Amino acid sequence: MLYFTLAAKAYSRNLQYRGAHMVHNLASAMFGFIYASIWIGLGRDNPLGAYGTHGMISYICFTQSLLWITSFISNGLGIPQAVRTGQISLDLMRPIHLFSHMAAREWGQIAYQLVYKSIPIYILYLIIFPLQFPKSGSVIALVAISVVGAAYISICMNYLIGITALWTTESSWFYWANHALVNLLAGFFIPLEWLPSWLSQLAWYSPYPYLLYVPTRIYLGYEHGSHIWGTLLWCAFLTLICLLATRVLRHKVEVQGG
Amino acid sequence: MKDNLKLSSKLKSWLELYNLLIKTSVRSRMQYRFNFLLGSVLAALIQISEFLMVAIVLYKFGAIQGWSMYEMGYLFSVMTLSKTLYRTFADEVHHLEKYLVEGDLDQILTRPVPVLLAIMPRNFRIMLGEVLQGGFILGWSLHGLWRSGQIDWMSIAFTLFIIVTGAVILFSIGLATATIGFWTTRIGELQTFTEDAARTAGQYPLTLYPKWMSSMLLIVIPVGFVNYVPALYIIRGELGVWVLAAVAVVAMICLGASLRFWRFGITKYQSTGS
Repeated sequence: MLYFTLAAKAYSRNLQYRGAHMVHNLASAMFGFIYASIWIGLGRDNPLGAYGTHGMISYICFTQSLLWITSFISNGLGIPQAVRTGQISLDLMRPIHLFSHMAAREWGQIAYQLVYKSIPIYILYLIIFPLQFPKSGSVIALVAISVVGAAYISICMNYLIGITALWTTESSWFYWANHALVNLLAGFFIPLEWLPSWLSQLAWYSPYPYLLYVPTRIYLGYEHGSHIWGTLLWCAFLTLICLLATRVLRHKVEVQGG
Repeated sequence: MKDNLKLSSKLKSWLELYNLLIKTSVRSRMQYRFNFLLGSVLAALIQISEFLMVAIVLYKFGAIQGWSMYEMGYLFSVMTLSKTLYRTFADEVHHLEKYLVEGDLDQILTRPVPVLLAIMPRNFRIMLGEVLQGGFILGWSLHGLWRSGQIDWMSIAFTLFIIVTGAVILFSIGLATATIGFWTTRIGELQTFTEDAARTAGQYPLTLYPKWMSSMLLIVIPVGFVNYVPALYIIRGELGVWVLAAVAVVAMICLGASLRFWRFGITKYQSTGS
């Protein structure tokens, strides 16, 4: 119940700005439009593998909408900010685990972004482009599992990025590096199979493909559920790391100011 | 005559002030030299990832609508360097919202210098990461284009020229957007559209886009004149040398129009107070 309240608060805090966010969605949709245009240009001279131009447009539109749930979430879950203001010491005193506290808050944020960012942006694309859809209910269920898993993986990764702020004042670098890796390894613009083979091999050793590529492939019907196991495995593994890291962190609190 | 003298001495003292500010800014960054250098290199690497994702696609599929990998790199890096030049000197224009929301502009309005001249030197930003990134991609593209015989020494001089005119155009777009803030106070969302999204679109050849959008990027938000239009002449030998003169004229028109708009907008300023 407490967790639900935390999430609901994070959700409703954003509602104040939904008008501005709607305007922002137009700009966000522009980026997807630019990327789709590049693929349309490429598609005039190339068959574009298994996807075809139509498939690649659908791919870009889905990943661009998905970004707001599984990649563009709060920078380090807001922990670097809390370290700077000293709030972190209060957060650690609470009778609730830091990780589940931060995660619950972020779930509220993600729910908001699903309703007010991902869905409106996807609807915009639907108006502009002809898109490919899943053919059965079971596919939709698999997509849902992989998206929720991806959002959770992203929460864990941002938690780990966030708590580095206790050791270094430069934790924003990890955030930016994470962005760069999402660009390259998550299938943000290029499907992974078209990366140079060493790079795509590297990608599959990381959780990045599960953020965008896997849910999108399942959604578009190029993949069956087997990758879901990978998603779940990363969820379990990262949870463990987050819990261990929190244990270490409890001995290391050093606030920078008040 | 007397007025002219007064103006030139004013300008001189402003330039001296600006110079001093740049020196202080450099010195303060150098207090943490290692941090600054490492940060810049990291920033460059991170930003290269954006170009890398397009470069990988080009490497795999060849050209996009007749634009080779080097030509795309040229468009991309000229845009980056123009933006860097604009933001190095006029970052505060991009952050005008801060002044509007917090009411800091009231104080500045009372100073005996034009508002723009008062805010621009407040933050001289050293963007070494962007310079490294843009410079590296530009160098790599020029090298490739040179080897295929598409460019000569003149092209390199022209490139430097269009980076400057491009910065003027981007500054004008930024200033016009900021001016709208005098009516709306908040401009962040609009900036994402006119500055970030438009600039990102301009990193790629305009022929990729539908007609309405490429026209918009040439007429309404003229980012097309930063890199695409001049590149048609400089690296592809299309049109003629007059294109460069035309680009300079466009840059001057943009600057004049946005300054005029700014001067009009500032008369409509209402303090938010606090």
